[in-house]
Amino acid sequence: MNVAAERIERLHVLAREATVAGEAERAREYVRLARRLAERQRLSLPRDFRRFTCDDCDAFLRPGRNARVRTRSGHVVVTCDCGSQARYPYGE
Amino acid sequence: MALTPETLPRHELNGLLVEVVDAANPDLVGIAGRVVLESRNTLHVEDVRDGEARVRQVPKESAVFEFQVTDEAADREKRSGTTSKLGRDTAGVRAGQSGSGDGVAYVTVDGDRLLSRPALRSETAGDSKWR
Ligand SMILES: [Zn+2]
Repeated sequence: MNVAAERIERLHVLAREATVAGEAERAREYVRLARRLAERQRLSLPRDFRRFTCDDCDAFLRPGRNARVRTRSGHVVVTCDCGSQARYPYGE
Repeated sequence: MALTPETLPRHELNGLLVEVVDAANPDLVGIAGRVVLESRNTLHVEDVRDGEARVRQVPKESAVFEFQVTDEAADREKRSGTTSKLGRDTAGVRAGQSGSGDGVAYVTVDGDRLLSRPALRSETAGDSKWR
């Protein structure tokens, strides 16, 4: 694994820890930096990262804390506290 | 590539324990704690003193940082109780650094080598001594 991919993994962990510690804005910085790294190095972010970060406000999402997760027919709707919704399909 | 003394200047600095061992501004020397944010020219270090956390902004330029790197390979080796060839190799690397203890290496880095936007450090050959 190259350095950038490993940095993204570390930032993922740091963003989660910062969110748990109540440092939401700090977590956003880690999320933004990880995204920037992926963009520059043409890496795709891990699926967990993509699904549990807000596309609008860059928050690291913790279901039940700062995100609502609800199922609809054929997809999951994740709503961030900022109001942004993301929908992901699931197959049966 | 793991976070090793060699890759550190290109690796993620957020979250690492660091101490400012030299700086143009003497007030900054001795600041120690976790790196919580990095900008192109500074590191923000969360220094906890008397139970009070304070984030100090330290210019990278003309400062010397001592980073604490936990040797993940050594940790793994300890847990599994086996000595791999790989483990001995990394131990050799650690001995070459400014100091090492129980799976922990202290890596001294000139702040000038870190002068780069955080997202670009991984690509701008930060390893090179010819910057
Ligand atoms: Zn949001």
